[in-house]
Amino acid sequence: MAEVIAKNIDNACETAEEFTKIFYKQVDNNRHLSSKLYLDTGLLVWNGNGINGSDKIQKFLMDLPASNHVLKTLDAQPISENLVSNKLSYLIQACGDVSYQNDDTKKPFQQTFVIVAVDGKWKIASDCFRLQVPYS
Amino acid sequence: MPKNGSRIRNFKNSEHFEHDDRTHSGNTRRVSFKPGTHKGKKWNKPMMLLDDADIDMTGSVGPHMRHKGSFRGRGGRLISPAPMSGRGPMRKRLNPGSLPWYQIIIPYGAKHPKDVILRSLLSFVSPDVFIPHYYKTNGNAAVFYVDEFKLAEKLLHADRKIVMSDGFKLMIIVRNAVPNVVVDADMKEKMKLTMAKRYNPATKALDLTKFHADPDLTEIFCALFRPVIMLAAIDIIAENIPDLEALNLNDNKLHGIDHLKALPNKLRNLKILYLGDNRIPFLGSLDSMKSLPLVELYLKGNPLVNRFQDHEIYISDVRKKFPKLVKLDGVELPPAIGFDVQDNCALPPRQQSFLVDPAGQNLVREFLTQYYAIYDGESRQQLLEAYHEHATMSLAANYLTNDSRNSPTLRLNSYISNSRNIIRITERESRRRYLRAGKLQVVSFLSDLPKTTHDLMGCAVDLLVFTPSMIVLTMNGLYKETTTNGNPMRSFHRTFVIVPNAGGGFCIINDMLYVTNTTKEQEEKAFAAALPVEAAPAPAPPAAPPPRPRRKTPRRRR
Repeated sequence: MAEVIAKNIDNACETAEEFTKIFYKQVDNNRHLSSKLYLDTGLLVWNGNGINGSDKIQKFLMDLPASNHVLKTLDAQPISENLVSNKLSYLIQACGDVSYQNDDTKKPFQQTFVIVAVDGKWKIASDCFRLQVPYS
Repeated sequence: MPKNGSRIRNFKNSEHFEHDDRTHSGNTRRVSFKPGTHKGKKWNKPMMLLDDADIDMTGSVGPHMRHKGSFRGRGGRLISPAPMSGRGPMRKRLNPGSLPWYQIIIPYGAKHPKDVILRSLLSFVSPDVFIPHYYKTNGNAAVFYVDEFKLAEKLLHADRKIVMSDGFKLMIIVRNAVPNVVVDADMKEKMKLTMAKRYNPATKALDLTKFHADPDLTEIFCALFRPVIMLAAIDIIAENIPDLEALNLNDNKLHGIDHLKALPNKLRNLKILYLGDNRIPFLGSLDSMKSLPLVELYLKGNPLVNRFQDHEIYISDVRKKFPKLVKLDGVELPPAIGFDVQDNCALPPRQQSFLVDPAGQNLVREFLTQYYAIYDGESRQQLLEAYHEHATMSLAANYLTNDSRNSPTLRLNSYISNSRNIIRITERESRRRYLRAGKLQVVSFLSDLPKTTHDLMGCAVDLLVFTPSMIVLTMNGLYKETTTNGNPMRSFHRTFVIVPNAGGGFCIINDMLYVTNTTKEQEEKAFAAALPVEAAPAPAPPAAPPPRPRRKTPRRRR
């Protein structure tokens, strides 16, 4: 049992590495394909704006200015399997700097994903993006 | 005219101490100005009086080697390569260097009061007038600087022309050299006061024209073409007038301006920039400032302008770098014809909170209030109740990129040492170890973190999943460390996965925390809202059963 848990921890980390590599590459360079990474019923919460469903997420992402993300910190944990419809799922936290089109300033951002394995593919169930700015 | 040719090149080690300059030897040194190099230790003792300047010695070269191609250093040569017989009478010549600063050394100058020396020299060069920058005595010598070639040359001609009261002729050595400066707090304060005097708050404009010649700065060498000084100036501006809109740097002998790349980051509102009458060699030198949204730019009086034979091309090239420009060198530009592409990078407005299901609002509020009442309280041990038996928790921490602030309170040692940043921590074994598993381990880990007070009202809270079997909640905000020296603020991002527990309540099964330093912007708004949360009764039972959500959300996964 302990062995299985340990393996799952390793796997969460390795999946997180691979996932973020693909995710940010898509968002920065091939954004029109980004929505494929989300579940059909996936949720994106972008700086407090909630967008439900991969189609709407696609449209929302396309309207954002071109971006460049640099990842600096990454962490991942397994989520207990019986929670997300008995599917393997991981919690991933990615932090770094993002710069947007025509603006060289790097803004710190933090982003948390819940990803879930569906039919042999990792899909984003929820994605919460926040720029590090005052919210009061 | 001295018989043995140029004093500058040929002066010997002993010359500052003996007034006999007739000895002649092959021990001639080639001295060239190279910015940034310092090889003072090679100099013999008497030369120490020069070592407050950037000097480079490239070995000794005898007079017969003068015409070698290597004669000309990159930093400009010191004196004329004119033929020198070594015996015949010579015209003393000084060639302009790339940086128009000249060090005037008066060996034995310390014997006379400063005003006597300056008066003698001023009357010699009259009707011209020079400003002696940074006058000081160094051993027996008096040293100062002038910033104009013509005057440096005139002063060189005064060598051995002025007879002083003690009967000796005043020796004068002129070199192309720039004073070395250390920017300390005292100097910054002086700069700040001088800048305050030159700032116009009505137009948000700062005029730093010919800054080094400001009467308030004659005591210190404050030339903005020196990167350290320019960077210090930019820091002072960013700190005191971050919303500056116009900056005048005319006539500051700016040459390399790569360090001005700090401007776009620090002065985001800068729209008008004057760089006239400097020595900026290429238009490409401005690349580091391309991201400034300049509407007005002044470049006249720089070598870069003369490189363009066609003024139209000059305008168009400058515009390529600064597309929003409407005025260049004081002339209104005709409107440019552009393309209709989206160039506003406006991001969607941010919201403080998102709830996937409004029914979750009470639960979120209740949970956070209760959790942080304990977390920010005396002992975090009580949090045991709030965690699932098999809960996992991890912390990751990192510094902000390009944070130029330098304060011990910014150190994140207590977090970084426990940080499970898997970009850094690549070993499986360590990755497992840094993940705290089981509620005992989790709470004991949390108890060891610095004590805090969270700005809950200023927090962004997103409720991402809200189903009877699972709640996912993310926070983004800041807290203050209450028992750490200086009570530093930290920015955090934290996600909780919450599940129902056997007793009908809820408990945390995943807890993921990221900690970094707060930005200036965050600090300004920190704890701005009144904190009714603080007034909430603290000793409430942890994570008491909130009302069970009745509605199923559409987000439930199959």
